Amino acid sequence: MASYLLKRILWMVPLLVGISLISFFIMHLAPGDITTSEASFNPKASEESRQKLRALYNLDKPVIVQYGLWVKRLAKLDFGTSFASHQRPVFWQTTDKDGNVTLGMIQEALPITLLINVLSLLLIIGIALPLGVISALKQNQWPDRGITLFVFLGFAIPGFWLALMLMYWTGVQHSWLPISGLESMGHENLTWPAQIWDTLQHLVLPVFISAITGLAGISLFVRNGMLDVLHQDYITTARAKGLNENKIIYGHALRNALLPLITIFGLSIPGLIGGSVIAESIFAIPGMGKLFYDAVLMRDFPVIMGILTIGAILTMLGNLLADISYAWADPRVRRGVM
Amino acid sequence: MLMPTQITRYIQLWLIVFGICAMSACSNGEDAAKKLKPNYDAPHPTSLGGTMIDAMTGEPSGLIAMIAGESAASAIAGNIFNSLLKYDKNLELTGELAQSWEVSADQRTITFHLKPNLKWADQRPLSSADVLFTWQKVTDDNTRTPYGSDFKLVSKAEAPDAQTFRVTYAVPYAPALDTWAGLHILPKHLLQDQDINNTAFARHPVGSHYYKLSDWKNGQYLKLSRNPYASQGQANIEHLLSRIIPDKAAQFLELSADNIDSMALNPIQYARIFPSRPDLSKNIGLYKELGNSYSYMGFNLKRKPFDDVRVRQAINYAIDKQEIIDGVLLGLGEPVASPYKPGTRWSNPSLQPYPYDPNKARALLREAGFSDTNGDGILEKDGKPFSFEILTNQNKEREMTAVLIQRRLKEVGIEVNIRVLEWASFLGRFIKPKQFDAVVLGWSLSLDPDQYGIWHSSQQAPGQFNFISYSNPQADKLLEAGRIELNPDKRMKIYHAFSKILLEDSPVVYLSAGYGLSAIHKRVKGISSPAPAAGIGHNTYEWFIPKAYYRNEINDQ
Repeated sequence: MASYLLKRILWMVPLLVGISLISFFIMHLAPGDITTSEASFNPKASEESRQKLRALYNLDKPVIVQYGLWVKRLAKLDFGTSFASHQRPVFWQTTDKDGNVTLGMIQEALPITLLINVLSLLLIIGIALPLGVISALKQNQWPDRGITLFVFLGFAIPGFWLALMLMYWTGVQHSWLPISGLESMGHENLTWPAQIWDTLQHLVLPVFISAITGLAGISLFVRNGMLDVLHQDYITTARAKGLNENKIIYGHALRNALLPLITIFGLSIPGLIGGSVIAESIFAIPGMGKLFYDAVLMRDFPVIMGILTIGAILTMLGNLLADISYAWADPRVRRGVM
Repeated sequence: MLMPTQITRYIQLWLIVFGICAMSACSNGEDAAKKLKPNYDAPHPTSLGGTMIDAMTGEPSGLIAMIAGESAASAIAGNIFNSLLKYDKNLELTGELAQSWEVSADQRTITFHLKPNLKWADQRPLSSADVLFTWQKVTDDNTRTPYGSDFKLVSKAEAPDAQTFRVTYAVPYAPALDTWAGLHILPKHLLQDQDINNTAFARHPVGSHYYKLSDWKNGQYLKLSRNPYASQGQANIEHLLSRIIPDKAAQFLELSADNIDSMALNPIQYARIFPSRPDLSKNIGLYKELGNSYSYMGFNLKRKPFDDVRVRQAINYAIDKQEIIDGVLLGLGEPVASPYKPGTRWSNPSLQPYPYDPNKARALLREAGFSDTNGDGILEKDGKPFSFEILTNQNKEREMTAVLIQRRLKEVGIEVNIRVLEWASFLGRFIKPKQFDAVVLGWSLSLDPDQYGIWHSSQQAPGQFNFISYSNPQADKLLEAGRIELNPDKRMKIYHAFSKILLEDSPVVYLSAGYGLSAIHKRVKGISSPAPAAGIGHNTYEWFIPKAYYRNEINDQ
């Protein structure tokens, strides 16, 4: 097992080099750079100044040289500083000689996005599991059809529209929930339980919106997994030997039906760190989606590369974790039967 | 198993349930609106204090404007830093940090006299050494600013005493005063041993204007508080809080729920939503003012047939500008006849936009040799149909404008195709190599009349701004003369003559200048309406919020 793990981790290095190389070149295939944004199309900004800026950012060098410079910095675990945001560190905070701390961009955005996505994933599991099980048990009866209709409605409804409607209903017509942002004004003057309560209130709508659109996938997965398992011989055997129906469903069927879900969760780890641009814009949440989108629009190469690299690392770790949990959960995989 | 009729019954049931929910929600909303609200129209004396909350779509990258560059940064930094000069409410230059300034007889030297006893927000004195330092920084080759070139024209800058700052230009440079009105003066004592490109000062600025930064939560808000040592006297409102809400619709919801006091509206919100919501208009005032930019269709003058002035004029006559203003801006704009803001001294009041006159357009096109020889409705010349492509970038208003132009030009027999591109490829693949027929874009209605970079024939190299390749020796001469004439009255005559030539040559079709639209809660008093030329924002320091109208949650701070 240990040698297997080591091999997997070592394999990640060439994979990462490949991913970063491809990302870097594709990023430079897109026309333009930081000096050609729409805002800089301004007669007050002369062409010479722009060439000077390009030289200061090393954008006048061949792409392969720029890649080399980036790798050289990364070797020291330095993700560089943003072009567009006054040289804020891309990944982690830095302290200057006067003791001023400048927080990293990913450092700030990642926890917010992770929090929302983990909460919404938990909500999805909490709702989709029972929905899937009920659907499977009542296959083709009205609960099944109702649930399928509901989850597909959630899947099909435009998230931004639903978000705006809910914001209007819960925030403008009734003052039940805050409309946008992460904290109320004066948040820092509250006691810590009140601060948590305040933040939670702000998170209700974003988490709900992101969950409702994701229900369909997981609940249908559980439903079909359950249906498969319920038709297996060992379930028939269990029923034949007169086992309690609850025990059959939750002790035997569900456990087996859930196995493929581990893969899905492994695959959803990169999704956990990537926020949704639309939801983050509407709810005014400074998360990863908005950060990445703005960086692409501004051609802020260090930020783009930072997010892609960290995303790639987390994806590979996620896959590794999924494989390990698979081995842990399924003895057949562990013993190499399958 | 559910039968189809049962399913429909279920759907009906759900619709009814939803309908009831929606209706009850609606009636609750009306109840909430009926709740007692203060009368915001009552008169109040000027008072100090309070918090004004506004919303902006983007976050500043830093607050050193010469490096940050984007409009969000300039908007916030403009409350923190002073320049030597500023534009007053009629858009005339006046002193800000400078009490007065003199231009030498040979027009090459400008001497600024600073106001006495100026202080930074940290109480250190502000002197001409700070101004000199700022000039050194903006012209330093290691400073990552795109705005250095104007200041590099200064051949000598000196600070003979603490109150005096003198710059000498190699040749007279008329836009100089405007450039000094745009340069925020930075404190030498805090920045002299810092790298201005990545200094923490950009996020912890110390300025001399009405406000100082008291809190900045990344991605959420910036909070400014009154600077007790402000160089221009005291503002009335104690705190300015700018929330970052990227989505306009979400901003509008926050405004409706009375969580923010002001936002910039889009034409639909201004002209469609507000009139249908009397409950909103009761609490929120709407303001419009001419913005600082205009949209135009520019021709590639190096391509046939746009090298023929008759063709350009014909197209100008064939386009209905009012239709574009009504259709795209919902009537919230004005036609322009020169690249200068109507109502300012640089705008020539005798010039009129080309009227919509398709018959004149047809006549001019016939004169230029175009006729529909094969009867397909499209004009031809030398056997080639008159067909061209309008390029524009991804901007809804510009796309809609192009469609309206397409239709009007079809009526006079010109076939137009429209191509919409992402900005960087638009610029890199089409504008720089001049691979285009015509573009729909915008330019700013600059406060200084010098537009040498846009119209002078020497400015056509790739990456320069005369990408339409406009070249007229007479216009060139006037542009050169206007650059070295510092006397405003003489300068005005030069630019009036220039605008006239430009309008006749029609290298671009001026389409419209849109209004800036803002909504401000009626708790904020002291706003000049109607707005003067400089817009309602010219006297924000005089705005105030009567104590009776403070928000509860802000009171305790």
